[in-house]
This record gives sequence, C-alpha cells and structure tokens, in this order.
Amino acid sequence: MKISEKLLQVKEIYKTYGEGQSETAALKGITLDVFPGEFLGIMGASGSGKTTLLNCIATMLKPTSGQILLEGENISSFKGDQLAIYRGSKIGYLFQEFELLDNLTARENIILPMSIHGEDPKKQEVHLQKLAKQLDIEEVLNKFPSQMSGGQKQRVAAARALISNPSIVLADEPTGALDTKNAKKLMGKLSSINQTEVATILMVTHDANAASFCSRILFIQDGVIFHEIRRKVPGETQNAFYERILTVMAQLGGGNNNVL
Amino acid sequence: MFFDFIKRNSRRTRKENGIYFASLVVSVVAFYVILSLGDQNVMKYLKTLESDAVAKLLLMIPMLYMVSLFFVFFLVYCANKYQLQRRRHEFGIYLMMGMKGSKLFTMIMAETLWSGLITLFIGIPISLFLTELISLATSRLIGMDIIGYEFSISWLGLGLTMFGFIVVQILAVFILSLKMMKEEPVDFLNEQKEKVQKVLSTKWSFVNLFIGVLLLCLAYVLSVSSLDRVIFMMTELILLIGIAGTFTLFRGLGNLIGKWVKDKSNLSTGLFVFTGRQLQENVLHQWGSLAISSLLMLMAMIFFTYGISMPLAQGKESRSVDFTFEGYENSERDIISVVSSDKLSSYIKDYYPMKIGIVSTPYEGMPKDTVTHDFSWAELEELTSREKDSEDKEYLLRDLSSYKDSPYLISLSSYNSLLKSINKTPILLEDGEVALYSDEDRFSYTHNILRRVLKSNPTVSIDGQQYELFSTLYTSNIVADRAITLAYALIVPDDMYNDLVDDQENPPRWNMVLDSNFVQEKGLMQATHEIDKLLSPTGLKYESYLASMGRQLFYIVAGSYITFYLGVMFLIISNTVLGLKFLMQQRSTRHRYYTVSILGASIKSLCSSARTQIWWYFGLVMSVALISSIFGFRYMVKVLLPSGSSLANSTTGWIAAIVLAAFMIFEICYIWTIQRKSDEEIKKLKEID
Repeated sequence: MKISEKLLQVKEIYKTYGEGQSETAALKGITLDVFPGEFLGIMGASGSGKTTLLNCIATMLKPTSGQILLEGENISSFKGDQLAIYRGSKIGYLFQEFELLDNLTARENIILPMSIHGEDPKKQEVHLQKLAKQLDIEEVLNKFPSQMSGGQKQRVAAARALISNPSIVLADEPTGALDTKNAKKLMGKLSSINQTEVATILMVTHDANAASFCSRILFIQDGVIFHEIRRKVPGETQNAFYERILTVMAQLGGGNNNVL
Repeated sequence: MFFDFIKRNSRRTRKENGIYFASLVVSVVAFYVILSLGDQNVMKYLKTLESDAVAKLLLMIPMLYMVSLFFVFFLVYCANKYQLQRRRHEFGIYLMMGMKGSKLFTMIMAETLWSGLITLFIGIPISLFLTELISLATSRLIGMDIIGYEFSISWLGLGLTMFGFIVVQILAVFILSLKMMKEEPVDFLNEQKEKVQKVLSTKWSFVNLFIGVLLLCLAYVLSVSSLDRVIFMMTELILLIGIAGTFTLFRGLGNLIGKWVKDKSNLSTGLFVFTGRQLQENVLHQWGSLAISSLLMLMAMIFFTYGISMPLAQGKESRSVDFTFEGYENSERDIISVVSSDKLSSYIKDYYPMKIGIVSTPYEGMPKDTVTHDFSWAELEELTSREKDSEDKEYLLRDLSSYKDSPYLISLSSYNSLLKSINKTPILLEDGEVALYSDEDRFSYTHNILRRVLKSNPTVSIDGQQYELFSTLYTSNIVADRAITLAYALIVPDDMYNDLVDDQENPPRWNMVLDSNFVQEKGLMQATHEIDKLLSPTGLKYESYLASMGRQLFYIVAGSYITFYLGVMFLIISNTVLGLKFLMQQRSTRHRYYTVSILGASIKSLCSSARTQIWWYFGLVMSVALISSIFGFRYMVKVLLPSGSSLANSTTGWIAAIVLAAFMIFEICYIWTIQRKSDEEIKKLKEID
C-alpha cells in the first residue's frame, strides 16, 4: 500500500439513538481519512461523540448511515463471521481498562487473537518476543494479570493489539487508568512502534499529554469535526504541540464561539 | 402499586430464569414426596399388617424431613444467589434513584414470598402427580398388582411442605439480602467482577492431587478387599477415606488443568486456551462444590441401584396360596363349613388340606417312651460338599446340617393338591422314592447346586431304610402362613407321612386359593382385605399370604421408596448446584466473553467454547463419581443386600448398567439445558448484526 493511499475512510457517518421525540444524534455526518502509518488522535468533551465514532470504526456499533471503508472494504456492512475475521486481525484494540483476561497469563493474552484466527502461535514467537522487548514486558510474560502493575497490564494489552500486525490499532483512552509515569511510558512505546513499525494508530483521548504523541488530532464537538491540528514535522517539539492542543481545548471548552 | 411492581418483577423472573424457577419447584416436590410417605396406598395397607414397623418408619420421616430441609436449603440458596446476582445492576439503579436499603430489602423479601407462593401453586399438583406415580411404581417394583388404586392426598404433608419451603426460601433470601445490604451502590452498578485468579503453589496443588488419588485408591482397595468378610466399622472408614480423597482430588485438579493448558497452548489454536483457563478457574474456585456434587452423584447412583436391587433380591414372590387355616383337632369340619358357605364359596377357587410335619429324631435326655425316628441325608450333604467351592455351597451345607435334626415332611397328596391348584403336573413317586422341596423365594440361591446334586439321585435314610431322592426339585410355596419360610422338606407318600408324623402334634393346615377373576378385578390387596372381613367373625385361625409377606413387603417398599427419594434428591441437587455455579461464574466473567468477541471470536465459537467448558465441568464431576460407583456398587451389593440373597452378580451388574445408562441420559439432557442457557447468555453479547 502506498503511503498516499487511504487506509481508513469514514464517509458521512451518522449515528442516532432512540426514536421519534427521544431521538438523539451522536454523530452528524463525520467524514475523515486515516493514512497508513499515521498516529491520529481524536479529542473532544464528554458526549461529543468521539467514543461513538471509535465504536463505529471498531465494528462494535453499527452507524445509522454512512460508510466505513478499511482498505477499501465497507466494514460497517459486515455481519457475523465477516466481522469476526476483521476483529483482532485487521483491527487491534486497546481499552481504557486493559480488558486482559484475568485467568490467562500475559503470553496467553497476547497470542489470543492469533489463536482465535486459527494461526499457529509458534510462528509468532519471534514477533511476540520482539514486541515484549519493545514494550518492556518480557519479565511478565508468564504471569497472570493479578501479578502485574497497571502499566504492565496496559503494555501487555498493547502487545495483544499489535501481535497480529493489524492494519489499524484503535485505542480508547489507553492512559485513562494509568498514573502519569506509566501513561508517558506507554505513549512513548506506542509512538516508537508507530514510527519504527509503521503501525497505524487511532486514539481517542481526553489527555492532552497523551495526545501530544500523535501526528494529527481531530477535535469533535456535538457529533461533528470541529477542528484539526497537525504536528509540524520536523521542527515542532512535543511540548510545543502540547501547548497548541491545550489552546484548542480551551477554545472548545470555553472559547467565545462556544458560550451557550 | 408496590404489590404490582413485585408481581411484575416476579413474572419477569419466572420468564427469564427458568432454571431458578425449576429449582424451586423441585424443592417443593422433594418435600412433599417424603412427607406424604405415610399416606401412600401401599403404606396405608402395610400399616394394617405391620403397624409396628410402619410406626418406626414414620418416626424416621421427621429426620428425613430435616435432611431434606438441609439439602433443599443448599439448593434454594444457590438458586437465589444466582437470581440475585443477575439483578444486581437493577438493584443498584433502585438505590441510586433513592430507594432506601430497607425498602429494597422489603421488596426482595416480598418478591421471594410471591414467587414462593406461585412455586407452591405449580409445585403441589406436580408433587401430587409424582407421588401417585411413585406409589404405583413401588407396588409394581415389588412384583405384584396389589393395589386397588386410590388417589390420596396427605394434608399434613401438604402443610409441612408449604411451611418448609417458605421457611427455606425466606431464610435463604434473607441471608443473601443481608449480605448484599452491606455493599455500596457502586458495587451493584459495576458488573460484578470475577474473583482474582488464584495462583496456588503448583507443588502444593500437585501434593493435593497425589494425596487425593492415593486416598481414593485406598478406599477402592479397602472396599474390594473387605468383600470377603465384613469388618466392623469398615464401611465408615471407607466412606471417610473416600470423601477425604474426593475433596483433596478436586482441590488439586485445578492446577493439573492449568498445566495441561500451558503445555498445549503453544500448539493449539482457536479458543482452546480461553476454554481451558475458564475451566481451570471454575475448578480452582469451586473445588468444594465440585467434590460435594460428585459425592452426591455417587450416592444417587448407588441409591438407585440399591433401590432396584433390593426388591429384586427378594426374588419374585410366587403366590400359590392366598389363605392358610391353622389346623387343630377336628378342624376339618369347621373349616370346610366356612369355606363352602354361600358367603365365601363364590370367591374361592380351591381349598385342600396341607399336611406338613416334623419327624422326631432322637435327642439327649428325651423321655424313655418317646417315639423317634432315625434320619440322615448324609449322602445329599456328601454330594453337595463335592460341588465346586462357593458361598452358596457353604450356605446350603449349613442349612442341610441344621435341618437334619428336625426334618420336615410334606404329604404327597397335599403337595399334589397344591400343584393341581396352580395348574402344575402332580408328582408321581415310585416305591422307595421321595422328593425334595425348597422354598423358592428365600433359598433359590442354593437351587442350582441342589438340582445338579439331585441328578445323581442321592439317598436319604429313614429308620435305616434308604429312599432315593427324585431328580426334580419342587419349589412351589406350600402355605400362606409363617411356614412359608420353610427352607427344605421332603415330600413323601401319604402312608409314609402317616407313619412318621404324629397327626396330633401336627394337625393338617388348610389352604385356600381365591378365584383369579376376583383377584384380578379387585387387586390382591383389596381382595385379601374383603375376604379378611368375611373370615374374621368365624373365629378360625388363619393367615393370609399378604399378611405373612407384610413385614418383608414393608421393608422392601419402605427401603425402595426412601432410597429412590434420596437418590432423586441427590441427583437433582448435585446437578442444579453444578449448573447454577457454572452459570454464575459465566455471568461474573461476562466481560471476558465480550473482550474475546472483540478480539475476533464469533458468537458461535464462544458458545461452542462455553459448551465445551460445560461438558468438561460436568464430565470431571461425573467421571470421579462413575469410577467410585464401580466399587461402591460392589460393596453395596455385598454389605447392604441380605446375605445369600437370590440376586446373582450378573443381575446386579445389569441393574448397575441400567442405572448408569439412565444416569447418563439424565446428565446429557441436563447438560444440554445448561448449554442452551449458556448460549442465551452469550448471544446477549451480540450488539451488532
């Protein structure tokens, strides 16, 4: 795939909940593209629709109308087995609460998506070891989640999201349950994997710090894309980008345009 | 309005959680079945025959009621725990909306009471139907159509059933709600998370496993080695070791599964690891329940086999005489005038004298003028002792030796009258020939040996003269009174009988056979009862076949009934506990299924994983119970069935096989039910499609 080709195309996505008078629109015609190797952040206030958007892309929620094309395939129209094939292999997930299976060891958790898709886990051993090294979780591979720290758990979850070389990794507030130190460590690792492995990551977050690791950020408000910023490469430092993010967030939260 | 709310919730519960509701209905049935025992048809009749024994049994009922209360409490507690766990989120919402804890408590208790009443409304008709069915089946099992069928309701039983059930139900929910009230609303609102994965020391758990297997093997070896002779307290010791072994085995089993999953995880694909780890967790967290369920299943299987074996072990009762009148001087005239009277004659098929008497043999210190006869069946004993060694042979030799001092004789004409009345060919004895009689019902285990020995026509010696034994063994019951248990006797020609037996001391009895149409129409029980009513004013001394069989019949009926009852209860409780425990665990790990589905597992493969878990979960418990049952059956047959019972080993084997087959069918059906329930739960995860 050429870098200029679009990996993910979200076209005119609408999502409404309820019917009649109680109808609420969560997404009002969102359109966006994600390119291969991009680290895209989606930010917005609570209720802005960012998690609904991520869930639609993650195939956890079906949009009311519109299309979501992953590598040209309209995944929003998939059902049953087609969905199952895409989940875990083409799309990797990283959740706020890690969602590791407590009764599986770290190794078993990481290779679970491979096993589910019927791939020989032995063949992935090299990849597993490489990811473990990159994410600094080699020592916990044979441990159960209850024996790990929060940071280790989330890095194991990251390895699970990446093990099958998915086309895109979707991360929902991945630093939400971590302390600052572990959040920074995780983001550093994700960012490095994004750059070295050309892994595409789409992350929803509240956290400006976490978002400063992204190459592009979309701001959503009331179900529509409100603003977009890009990190200037080369030249702009992470700190400078962080400052810019805070400025946009301030406008979003209390700017003149948003006074009710 | 509050009441409407409760009714609505209760209706929803019944609709959504059939397993919960079915468990409650089972509890109601369990109570009524045991409490109505005293009012069952068979028992009612037995009371008239064996009031002492029945009274003793009825004294046992309160104890059984208490045992039932305990087990049913266990069942109801589990069922309610599952039900309340399902509704935690809903309760959290009520609390957040401002409902007071006390009001929520009242609501739960009121719902429990309402559900309880509806359960009783449905459970009681089922109980009535079932007890009638059991009553019929029990009478069938003892091999006779003795029931003139009557529908009966035990009002006291009903009252105690309602009381027991409501108390158990309220107490269980009370304890559960009290525990729940201590939690914060946030604990309700968050899906209950699973317990933290226990990481036991592998070494320790393998030690457990090893000790468990060792103890179980020890119990098996002890049960086999004590088959030859029963040692005092051995049963208790075996039970203790077996129970300890089962618990320790299940304690150590979890890590064995873990090791197996770990070893295989690098080679397997699909949801193997997930399935294995879920199973491991179930076993690790619930080893106690698994062990209890396994032991309950084992007991259920053994009780069923025992319940069936016991009536069969008594042999098929062959009724050849319905009434026997006691003989006395000039009794013939009185008896004939009664049985040939207009009132009775239409019910009677036949009546005839039955001459049975003891030959007096010499004994130490007897008065000088006593008339005695020399008797010996040494050749019969000698030939028997040459037979292949067996337990049955030992019993036969012991019996022959004990009868030789007081041998019984039956006159040929009497026995032929009996044979004629049951449409069998009469005996024709040549000069110098006598025939051997032995009771078919209680001593049939020696008959094969006797028949073989008789083929070589051994002789018996009476007053120095040799008589050849006829090659056929005669086994048709001779009387209906207590002489029915006569083990061995010689059938001799009338002249010889008159010479050897003193008629004064052994006045002839009279046998009476009822008209078969009359018996068929009324059932033996009713028919006997009616004739009883006609005979009792006559002042004649008599016994009926049913009365003399009463005690035995009683033990069979009571024993079968109680063992069956306990068997059914144990089976249902063990399965319900297992099923509910699995579903509860599945529910508390619901989010894992969700995560795995997000990682790409289809709903179909998740259902299939849960189905596999259920097979293994039940399979582990069942297989330990099955292995133990092989030894349990053998031990039970040896220790619990009457010694020298007529039940051949092969028959017990067949019964055990049938019980096993029925058990497997029941288990498979139950497993399917739980699997369907599990599928339903998993399909709820399907948020897209």
